[in-house]
Order: sequence, then structure tokens, then C-alpha cells
Amino acid sequence: MADAVLRTRALSKTYFGKVDTPVLHDVSIEIARGGFTALIGPSGSGKSTLLNCLGLLDPPTAGEIEFDGRTIRERNVNELAAFRNGNVGFIFQFHYLLPEFSALENVLLPCWIGGGRPAAERRREALRIMERIGVGAFRDKAVYELSGGQQQRVAIARALVNRPKVIFADEPTGNLDRESGQAVLGLMAELNRESNITLVMVTHDREVALQADHIYELVDGRICRYFDVGRSGREAAAREIEERSCTIKQ
Amino acid sequence: MKKPANRYEWMIALRFLLRGRGQTLLIVLGVAVGVAVQFFLSALISGLQVSLIDNTIGSAPHLLVLPADRLPAGAAGVLDDAARRDSGRVLIDELTEIQSWQTYVDDLRRDRRVLRAAPVANGQGFIERGGAVIAVTVKGLVAPDGLDIYRIRAKTVAGAPELASDTALLGQRIAERLTLAVGDKFVLRNDRGGRLVLRVGAVFDLGAAAGNDLLAVPMDQVRSFFAIGGVSAVEAQVRDVFAAEDIARGFGRQYARVKLESWQERNRQLLTGLRSQSTSSVTIQFFVIVSISLAIASVLGIAAVQKQRQLGILKAMGTTDRSASRIFVIQGLLLGGVGSLLGLGLGLLMGWGFVAGTGAAFGLEVSARTLLTPIVLALAAAVIASTIPARKAAALSPIEVIRNG
Ligand SMILES: Nc1ncnc2c1ncn2[C@@H]1O[C@H](COP(=O)(O)OP(=O)(O)OP(=O)(O)O)[C@@H](O)[C@H]1O
Ligand SMILES: [Mg+2]
Repeated sequence: MADAVLRTRALSKTYFGKVDTPVLHDVSIEIARGGFTALIGPSGSGKSTLLNCLGLLDPPTAGEIEFDGRTIRERNVNELAAFRNGNVGFIFQFHYLLPEFSALENVLLPCWIGGGRPAAERRREALRIMERIGVGAFRDKAVYELSGGQQQRVAIARALVNRPKVIFADEPTGNLDRESGQAVLGLMAELNRESNITLVMVTHDREVALQADHIYELVDGRICRYFDVGRSGREAAAREIEERSCTIKQ
Repeated sequence: MKKPANRYEWMIALRFLLRGRGQTLLIVLGVAVGVAVQFFLSALISGLQVSLIDNTIGSAPHLLVLPADRLPAGAAGVLDDAARRDSGRVLIDELTEIQSWQTYVDDLRRDRRVLRAAPVANGQGFIERGGAVIAVTVKGLVAPDGLDIYRIRAKTVAGAPELASDTALLGQRIAERLTLAVGDKFVLRNDRGGRLVLRVGAVFDLGAAAGNDLLAVPMDQVRSFFAIGGVSAVEAQVRDVFAAEDIARGFGRQYARVKLESWQERNRQLLTGLRSQSTSSVTIQFFVIVSISLAIASVLGIAAVQKQRQLGILKAMGTTDRSASRIFVIQGLLLGGVGSLLGLGLGLLMGWGFVAGTGAAFGLEVSARTLLTPIVLALAAAVIASTIPARKAAALSPIEVIRNG
């Protein structure tokens, strides 16, 4: 891949406990800059774990991550936190908005944490994003007064506000009904197309995955298949995914 | 690395507290009551102590240079004949009276810790008037320090408080018992049958103190009337009354032929009383602080668990562990700070109510110490109490929170 914003080399992750659980094995992938990459696979295959490793939220047990040309060797949680603040945005299945703050304040939180830009400018930017996403009218509402779809949109605005290089989304529509789920997904696809922000999304939904430019399929913590949808075409990828389940040859 | 923007930590701490409004209010009230009680008690006890001490030594000397009443330690039998001859006069001289009092007065006055010093000659006399005979303590004083040690000038209720020959300044009690007024004359007698006609120059009222049984006359007149060659003592007041004992000890080491006595040595019982009062007030303060700490620790401990979701996402978005723990320390400070201010208001109100309601003979001691100590203690308790939840917040892993919803 010519221009990858993220690269992993032989990434492995084991959860250590009473019994050690190896979850990821030798995962080497690349995430195209500005593209939409979907991570699919059966439940328990390690999609969320991989996403959290890529987002520098969960340290891998072995292997390497290169983020925007920079190999992440940092192990200090505070340094990593500061790096995440400026470079990545997260959207989870649950919105994780703070009920203590209004919708607009929630969107502003990453700016406050990072500091730097003047307050007025940050506010203008936050409001612009909220307008774009269609939640501008709820700026002063308490987040628990919003519908699920509206809450998830506010969470998207929050993920965008610091202009991150990559947005990681873990089943962002998992808690929404079909209609508002579609709307949120459509919005994310649009945002990905109109800006240069890279989108990495874990999804169960084949329809959703097929809107992506790249699809990685995980099985038992290994990359089983990769589709370059742009090259192979959507139909071909769809057929492939439908017709053959992926098994890893040992 | 960028400088942390910790203004947002205050904002989050404040919002966390405002979100759990009832809980926060209860804790703030708890802190307020604790601070109020502390302030009120310490102001009350200090006020009481100030007034007790003032009653005891406000109009009395703080330290006295007294005749040794004994030979200097080791003098007899150790001194050889020559030494005995040299020091003989001195030994006898300072045994019951002080001859070289001017030296002691000068030495004391030269010390910066000493406020005033004066010689005094004491005698026991009788006043006969009508059918009554009463015994009085006659003080021979010199102006102005002698008068001021007994605060006679400040407490004069009638007449002019000036020392003059054949003029007596009279304590209120004697004046009342003998129905003497300014200008009246009376006869003072000593135990050897001597008589002295005195005119009442002024009457003073030293309050409840024993000083109201005093009769003050110029020192030289007392010396001749009671046949005192030197003086009875040299008396002094010092700036810091509690330093009197140290000062006395210092001078005592310098002088071999006289003994020094401080008000503390003469009032051991009072001091023991005061000390146990202070101890009990410190004990109360200690337990109030402990209960404030426990209350804050428990409410913030609960908050650290309740706010896990928020902390998790904040950390995912870049909040450092240090910031997360500061958010809890700030909450502690806010609880302690707001509670203290409220408590101070409450305490002042309590104090005002107490003084107005009971008509207490003494005031509350509202000083920087009694005001600030409870606040500083409450803030310190709040910060210490918040360290455990703060540490919990720092240790929280965002990935745990996010994985478990
Ligand atoms: N803290 C942990 N300790 C031990 N095992 C864990 C831990 N977290 C996850 N796992 C295990 O890792 C495996 C992968 O989990 P992960 O959440 O990444 O799967 P997933 O592909 O996202 O599944 P789903 O589609 O259900 O969300 C699972 O078998 C899970 O039990
Ligand atoms: Mg998952």
C-alpha cells in the first residue's frame, strides 16, 4: 500500500490472567490514509481488541505499530494519552457522553483536554461540526435529553473536533435502531469522503462493510482475508464473503 | 510535551460535584458544621483563657525579683574566711530585702522583652474607722511603672491617680467597706503602733481581682513607715506573658543573691487548668477533622466508582492519569473550601448568638489563629481524604471501562 497512515507488524496480544488468553496473533495490516477500512469477523475473533491496539488505547504484547510514519515505542500512558488527544478519535457502541455537560460541552471536551487553541475558535469549530452533523440545534441540551441517534451524532462530533488523523469506530450503530443506524453510517461515510480523515470501523453488518474501501476479516485473532474493494469491485467482494466462510489453514 | 491545561480539571470537578447535588450538599454541610464547631470552641476557649489570664496577671507583675530568703547555694561552710568577709555584707543585705534594687530595675528595663519594671515596698497595716478595723496590704509604688503594673491609672474611677506624700490610692473594696471617698482622711497603723494620716487621692476598681484590697502609697513613705531599708521586690511586666518564665529563668542565672519568680510559678494550678482546656479543645478538633476526612473520603470514594465511565472516556480522549487524580483532589478542595467558608459564617453566627444570649463575661477570641486554623485543617483533611479516590482514578484503565460498557 502506497500511503498507509497505520501499519502493524506481527502484532500480538495476550490477556494475562488466571488463564492467559491469546487474542491476536501476528497481525500485519495497513490502513490506507483517507480511506474507509472495515474490520469484520465472527464474535470473539478479536476485532475490538485489534481496534483498541490500533487506537493506542491497549498496548500490544508483541509487534509494532507505525502511526503516520512514526513507530510507537512509547509505553508511558500519559504520553500516549496526549498523543491520542491530537491524533485519534473514538466512537464506541455506547456514546460515553458525560451527563454532567451539555451537548456542546461534550464536543468541546477533547479541546479542553488538549488545550492550546483559543476558546472562541474552538467553540466556532465545534458548532460548525455540530451543524454539519445535524445536532447544532441541541447544543445546549443535556445529553440525556437526546435520542440514541442524536447522542451518537454528538459523539461523532466529539471524535472529529480535534481534527484527528484517524477515527476508530467500534460498532457505532450497535445500539441504534435500523433507521437511525443507517443515518449515522451514511453520515460517517460522507464525512470520510469529504474530508481526509481515515475511518476504521468494526462492524458485524456485511452491508456496512461493503461500503468500505478495504475490508479485513479476522478469524481467531488472525487476518484471514483482505479485500481491496476499490480494485476487486463491490460485487466480487460481496460474493466472496457470502459464498465462502474463511478458515485459516494451519 | 504540551503544558497541561488544568482549567478543565476544575470544570470537571465542579460538574461532578454539582451533578450529585444532594450528596455534595450533605458533605459541604458536614464540613461546615465541623469547621463551625471547631472555630466556635477554640474561639470560646481562647476567649475564656485570655480573660482568665488577664484577670490573673493583667493588673499584676509578671515576674518578680525577690530576696533570696536563704544563703546562696553552697555559700555557707564552703567560703573561706576571706570570701566570707567580702561577701558577708551582701549575703545579709539581700536575705530579706533587696538593697541594690536599682541594678535590677536597670537590667530589666534594658531587656527588650520587658515592658516595664519598678521597685516595690510592701507592708501589712490596719485601718481603723468608726468601729471597724480592717487589714490592708500597703504597696509602696513609684510612678509611672509601679502604677502601671497594677493598672491603677487606667482603672481609676474617682480622683487623680497620682502618687504624692500622705496621699493614698485606694482599691474600691476598701473604699466601700470603710465608706471612704476622695478627699477623706483616715489613719493607717502598723504593727509596731506607728500611725500615718492619709488622704484619699483616688479610688480604683480592678474588677474581680484581689487588687481591690490594695492601698497604694509612694514607695519612700512605705519604706520609712514600715522600716524597710531596701525594697521588698522588683516587679516587672513583659510583652509576651508566656515568656515570663523563660525570662525569669534567664535573669535568675545571672543573679546569685536574689531569686526570680514568674507568674507561671505562682499560678501552677491555673496553668494546669488552661493546659488541660487546650488539650481537650485540640482533642475535639482532632476528632472533628477525622470525621470530616472520613466523610469526604467516603463520598469521593463512591464518586470514583460512579464516575468510572466518564473517567474512562476522558482518558481515552487524552486525560492523563495525573489529571484524573487532580480532578478528585480538586473535588476535595472544593468540598473543604466551600464547607469551611460556610462553617466560618455559621461559627461566627454561633459565637454572636452565644455572647448575645448568655451575656458571657468574656468575648470570643476571633483572631487569625482561631479563624484560619479550622479552615487550614479542613482543607488539609480534604486533600488528604481525596488521595485514595484520586489514586483510584489515576489507576483506572480506560480500556477496562470501554470493554465492559
Ligand atoms: N480482558 C480480557 N481478558 C481476557 N480475555 C479477554 C479480555 N478482553 C477480551 N478477551 C477475549 O478476547 C477475545 C476477543 O475479544 P474482542 O472483544 O476483541 O472480540 P470481538 O471480535 O470484538 O467480538 P464481538 O464481535 O463480540 O465484539 C474474546 O475471546 C474475549 O473473550
Ligand atoms: Mg467487539
